[in-house]
Amino acid sequence: MSNLEHIRNFCIIAHIDHGKSTLADRLIELTGTVSKREMQEQILDSMELEREKGITIKLAPTRLIYDYNGEEYILNLIDTPGHVDFTYEVSRSLAACEGAILLVDASQGVEAQTLANTYLALDNNLETIPVINKIDLPSARVPEVKKEIEEVIGLDAENCPCISAKDGTNVEDVLKAIIEKIPAPKGDINGKLKCLIFDSHYDNFKGAICLIRVFDGQVKKGDKILMMQTKKVFEVTEVGIFVPNTKETEVLSAGDVGYLAGSIKTIQDVKVGDTITSAEEPTEEALAGYKEVQPVVFCGIFPVDGARYGELKDALDKLKLNDASLQFSAENSTALGYGFRCGFLGLLHLEIITERLEREFNLDIITTAPSVSYHVYKTSGDMLEISNPSNLPPQVEIERIEEPMVKVNVFTPPEYVGAIMDLCQDKRGVYKNMTYLDKRRVELNYDLPLGEIIYDFFDSLKSRTHGYASFDYEQKGYAPADLVRVDILLNGEKCDALSMIVHKDKAYNRGRELAERLKKIIPRQLFEVPIQACIGNKIIARETISALRKDVLAKCYGGDITRKRKLLEKQKEGKKRMRKIGSVEIPSEAFMSILKLNDEE
Amino acid sequence: MKNNEISIYIHIPFCERKCDYCAFVSFCVNEKEEDKYIDYLTKEMENFKTSKVVKTIYIGGGTPSILSIENLKKIFYTLKSNFKIKKDAEITIEVNPNSLSEEKLFEYKNLGINRISIGVQSLNNDTLKKIGRLHNKDEAIKSIKLASKYFDNISADLIIGLENEKDVYKYAETLIELGVKHISAYMLEIHENTPIFEKFNSQKYLPLNEEEVANEYEKLVEYLEKKNFHQYEVSNFALSGYESRHNLNYWNFGEYIGFGISAHSYINGKRVANANTLKEYFNGVKFQDENNSKTEIEERIFLGLRCILGVDLKVLDKLGYKMQNNENYQMFVKKGILFEKGDRVYLNKKYYLVSDFVISHLL
Repeated sequence: MSNLEHIRNFCIIAHIDHGKSTLADRLIELTGTVSKREMQEQILDSMELEREKGITIKLAPTRLIYDYNGEEYILNLIDTPGHVDFTYEVSRSLAACEGAILLVDASQGVEAQTLANTYLALDNNLETIPVINKIDLPSARVPEVKKEIEEVIGLDAENCPCISAKDGTNVEDVLKAIIEKIPAPKGDINGKLKCLIFDSHYDNFKGAICLIRVFDGQVKKGDKILMMQTKKVFEVTEVGIFVPNTKETEVLSAGDVGYLAGSIKTIQDVKVGDTITSAEEPTEEALAGYKEVQPVVFCGIFPVDGARYGELKDALDKLKLNDASLQFSAENSTALGYGFRCGFLGLLHLEIITERLEREFNLDIITTAPSVSYHVYKTSGDMLEISNPSNLPPQVEIERIEEPMVKVNVFTPPEYVGAIMDLCQDKRGVYKNMTYLDKRRVELNYDLPLGEIIYDFFDSLKSRTHGYASFDYEQKGYAPADLVRVDILLNGEKCDALSMIVHKDKAYNRGRELAERLKKIIPRQLFEVPIQACIGNKIIARETISALRKDVLAKCYGGDITRKRKLLEKQKEGKKRMRKIGSVEIPSEAFMSILKLNDEE
Repeated sequence: MKNNEISIYIHIPFCERKCDYCAFVSFCVNEKEEDKYIDYLTKEMENFKTSKVVKTIYIGGGTPSILSIENLKKIFYTLKSNFKIKKDAEITIEVNPNSLSEEKLFEYKNLGINRISIGVQSLNNDTLKKIGRLHNKDEAIKSIKLASKYFDNISADLIIGLENEKDVYKYAETLIELGVKHISAYMLEIHENTPIFEKFNSQKYLPLNEEEVANEYEKLVEYLEKKNFHQYEVSNFALSGYESRHNLNYWNFGEYIGFGISAHSYINGKRVANANTLKEYFNGVKFQDENNSKTEIEERIFLGLRCILGVDLKVLDKLGYKMQNNENYQMFVKKGILFEKGDRVYLNKKYYLVSDFVISHLL
């Protein structure tokens, strides 16, 4: 249907907050894809949370039609998330494109994710066009940023478009650059069908929807298709494009970006990264897929009201439909009852899921402190993957524990180098390298345990550098570490949901801080309640919550009994949000308090 | 409890000066307002028809002792002409030491009042001044002596938790020597929109902390027990036979009618409250409170457990709540916090001070 020469497939990559979604909005507006009336800000961020947080979470493709020198071009834009948790989504969309717009903030310059995303683009052999954004800012320093792009990234920036996506200045230059510099897709329309599934989502009416890039051949309604990895065969019920809402078309051909539905009942049948080919005339060779994403951060999620376990399960099932990276399995805690151990791509992902559970599904939930997945080598020779601290086997059975490591890149103005080094040291980091990129930018490389990153690394980095440093990380295997489990006993009874795995050198401090914090959070009970932190049988810290002395409103005056009853009812409602360990009542927020421990205190 | 008996509460919302801690409905006196109020009050009483026999009457406030004898007589005239009052009915009036006189006491006696409740609060002059009371220690003592001339059944109020008040039991000692038969000891509650709340917030008034209040309370309870003043409710102590029958009626789920602004009634299974402003009250505004088997269960539990009456488990069962199946209940019984006797369950007096905690776990 379309002439390959007149198609460009591209994505926009950038460090978070450098204006990706705003540029996407302008491009959509400029090409008249969406009428002014329908235009709302950040049009591709359809989730309420995405708009609110100003971040992109899901991939959102859209087709732009642009008239250039009297010829009509189809520009397929795939918006990508900017946060490090969603790097895998970026790499997916890159594989569907021939080129990328690398957007750089004119005042911030090159940041950690600018670099990380550029590497991803280079890995995928994409033509990368630097674009400098936010030139309307008083603090814009276009010449310096051009220099940074050339020196740090190694891209020619001399004639790159300098724009303001906000007010629309020079945005046309971007469209021109896309057409002039990004190569047209290569592919054989008459060849055997070969499509890459770069994302999927679930539609209540149409079933699982595949977001695809066609590399060879054509696909249309009625075709029998084969998923090369899962070996499943489906009949296509609909193909179409995004404008940016879905629009059915007759056919999708080599070079096109669009969607495909095939009454696919479950999203599990659609593996992102899989190749779709024709069931009748299959291609021999599948496209290079992606490695499956593995969750790295785990936590327990429990309903505050135990009776709502079923609702929580339904909600997670629904979220999973559109988020293959979310993992969960049933878990039972003595403290929190029935719930789920959930795996996430990172803390932001965790935060987004828990927030969606609360907002979109109206659930009150308790989340336990996040943990990473440890490799526990037992003396018996077995290896266990442990993401729930309470599942750690007894010390005597453990030969060694390995923890996940990450390679961390920090970009910072030079004045904060000392503070960052202290922080990394504190987080058990191993120094690797330091490069002065220019007068105002230093790149620091450290290897750090992921467990320390998810703890409070990001907040500490932000506060120690006043927000001027940016960081990015990638996984780097496992390394042995001297780790122990710290348990909390309340009135002599272990509270499994408060156990944590920590480095031996930090166990004492963390145990003491947690006991102190719990003393502040747990209300007094009828009896004295000892709080003990221990490693195995060894007590490392102890606090005591003294017994409640007085809890009575003295006057039940003049027959006004309703007022008193209402007060007592309020008190009772408060109890509903409490969990019981033996006879000790614990407010739900106590379970998150491990997170708020601060080594620096 | 006989079903054909009822109690009456009459609210007199006037004071010479409102105390700094008071959050009840009361206003400064003004003769004209007083007369108008008594008119409405007596009309309200006249409009209420019942065949039930009145077993207790309680005139509270505010400060009922500032009422003119004439107005008080009007109230009693209406009471007597409109209700059947039992011969041995307990009839109480609340008085303040500074508005009491021999003449008034004489008239009270003549009207049939047989119980006097005196708002002593403290016997320390500095303390009394700080909370805006208009009497001092000597006047308090004088008023008790005076009342004793005419009345045997005298009660005195004390407040626990006032600034610097670390030996409240010593006041109880003085009161008992003076012949007081009943003591109510209320713990200070600081309510919003009171002068003391402001002072407390700006740290100009430093009441005892929770720990100190608990200590004072326990010392007082111990002392009163020694003096044979047995504790029959969280805040109430009396020599045997001098318990307030009016209050026991509230806690025992007996019926009562409240007349006057902000007064509450419980009659025919319904809880009704009069309006809190004079304007609304004069217009006859009343509010009916939520009332069903759930609220009745809750009310029975907290009213019964706060006092020596206890709760009838069979009655709860009939209302649809088998409290014995509550796991907290079982734990409390096991630990001796609650104890059962026949069909009833009682709160161990040692735990009166944390009764709200216990009760909220049973609802």
